[in-house]
Amino acid sequence: MGEVKADSHNWNNKMKIANWTGMFFLSMALVAGTTACKHNTMLTPIPNNGDHPQVATPPTAPQPTAPAFTPTPGPENAVPVTAPQTPVASAEPIPLDTGAFTKTFETGTQDREKFKADTVYFEFDSSVIKASEQSKLQDLATYFKDNKKGECLIIEGNCDERGTEKYNLSLGERRALATREYLVNLGVDSQRLKTVTYGASRPVDPGHNEAAWKQNRRDDFILVTPK
Amino acid sequence: MNCKFKLSLATALLGAWSVMAAPDNAGFINIVKTNSYVVPVSITGFDGEAASVLKFDLEVLGMGVTSPDKADFLVSGSQSGQVKGSLTPKGADRPFWARAYAGGSVRAQAHAFANDIVKEIRGTEPIFLTRIAFRQQQGRSTEIALSDFDGYNATVLTRDGTLVSGPSWIPGGRGLLYVSWKNGGEQILEHNLSTGERRVFAGFPGANLSPAVSPDGQKVAMILSRDGNPNLWVCNMDRSGLHKLSSTEDSGPTWSPDSGEICFVRRSGHASLQKVSAGGGAARPLRVAGVYGNVTSPDWSPDGKWIAFTSGSGNFVIWVAPAGGGDAQKLVEGEDPCWAPNSRTLVFSRRVSNKRTLCLLDVPTKRVKNVMQLSGSCSEPSWAR
Repeated sequence: MGEVKADSHNWNNKMKIANWTGMFFLSMALVAGTTACKHNTMLTPIPNNGDHPQVATPPTAPQPTAPAFTPTPGPENAVPVTAPQTPVASAEPIPLDTGAFTKTFETGTQDREKFKADTVYFEFDSSVIKASEQSKLQDLATYFKDNKKGECLIIEGNCDERGTEKYNLSLGERRALATREYLVNLGVDSQRLKTVTYGASRPVDPGHNEAAWKQNRRDDFILVTPK
Repeated sequence: MNCKFKLSLATALLGAWSVMAAPDNAGFINIVKTNSYVVPVSITGFDGEAASVLKFDLEVLGMGVTSPDKADFLVSGSQSGQVKGSLTPKGADRPFWARAYAGGSVRAQAHAFANDIVKEIRGTEPIFLTRIAFRQQQGRSTEIALSDFDGYNATVLTRDGTLVSGPSWIPGGRGLLYVSWKNGGEQILEHNLSTGERRVFAGFPGANLSPAVSPDGQKVAMILSRDGNPNLWVCNMDRSGLHKLSSTEDSGPTWSPDSGEICFVRRSGHASLQKVSAGGGAARPLRVAGVYGNVTSPDWSPDGKWIAFTSGSGNFVIWVAPAGGGDAQKLVEGEDPCWAPNSRTLVFSRRVSNKRTLCLLDVPTKRVKNVMQLSGSCSEPSWAR
């Protein structure tokens, strides 16, 4: 253990092979390598000079419509709330397609205030519409069912901070889909409804307690009016 | 000394091929067989950045830096002009080898030296010159950022002023897929790191989430809600061949190293790990024993042996279980683990007071090192591999 062998014969053979294989070896590196072995200290060039290739970034574009975002710090000793695991209604899911209203969603005017009072809240880790929230959805359904102005609705699903990012994104989407399905079952054209999930990235209350969490487990509704 | 040459893709100067001398003396040092043994190592002769890099790197691989009389291995050398160093096993009268490192920064040279040391002692893939991608808070928005594995040389990749999530490297490090809200709803973007070009990889109606590129670079697994539920879908890298693999409420896919299988989370009553063939067919539960709480965010190790994942609701814990199922081992507090190319080190995020920070975990010894503190919360790390 620890013995350093000199094997110049083997070394020379390998040198030849290396020379024949690579026609473009940098002579500097060869000199360095040879010298290193003679002196029993190998020289190791750092590939790329140790630097990583310059990373190209896309041009900076001003984003006036940046969504409000509050950092979501983590809880200290959060106590998980056990919620009854109610199976989601087994009705066939309604495929997402905004069809004739796609343009409205792309170019329409958004109003976050209009349905602020209709924000729907959820139990921990649940996307089930609670009885207490159903009248809000009834109001929304009434507004959109015979809407002659071509207005649409964005449903934003949000979660509290007690989940990993990937899980919360799926959970937020399930919450948005749950109200969408509810509205469709009340007679709203599914093409007028678009879902977005923010996971836990947009809390209303940045606190780390149940009072904050219950405010953050929600669906927000944004009215979209065609231009 | 027995030397051999390896061709390595060089780039830096002249865009030509360069020669890289590599050691070929396996067998002289017996790799430390017990993975969980904290190997005592001494570091002498270095100061400043070289010393701190060597100490950090060796500790990341579960070694304990101590005085020469207590060390199993003696690391000595200097960084005058360039990093030079030798590795001597305890009791040997001569160094096992001595090397000098040319080019790059002192930091890069010290990392390269640490790579050589770890290869001899642990026998694992070198990781100290690799990079990670993660989500970084920038004021009111989140952006994708890149850095060395230890948090140094960080750059912010996106400047969209909106939200992003879940960066996933394209194998070989030539690009990333991630979720962006810059066009309103969430879309999966493909970002070419050499040209800076971006394209919408998946922008279907509804959610487009959690992209995971297969290790062979041929396919992408992701969560799409286009059918009315967040389901697991897969398509080719050119976006052809899109098909659904699961019709439940799914999240967080990760690939087997042969790109044949996908492990994901299915929520049906509670969240559980499932495996499904990338070609289709029924998903099968991955049975892991001893875990409590919701199981989320799995990551399959590059050697195929392990799946690391998160459990809990608020107080998150990282676990590791055999990829074929079996007893899960509780590791440390944290979430969103991602394996290094060596299948031994994990990068993960931790919530500390009002911030999320990135940490490195040596799985066999359960030792944790904090990645250099960056401004803003850093989370959802993805290790280039």
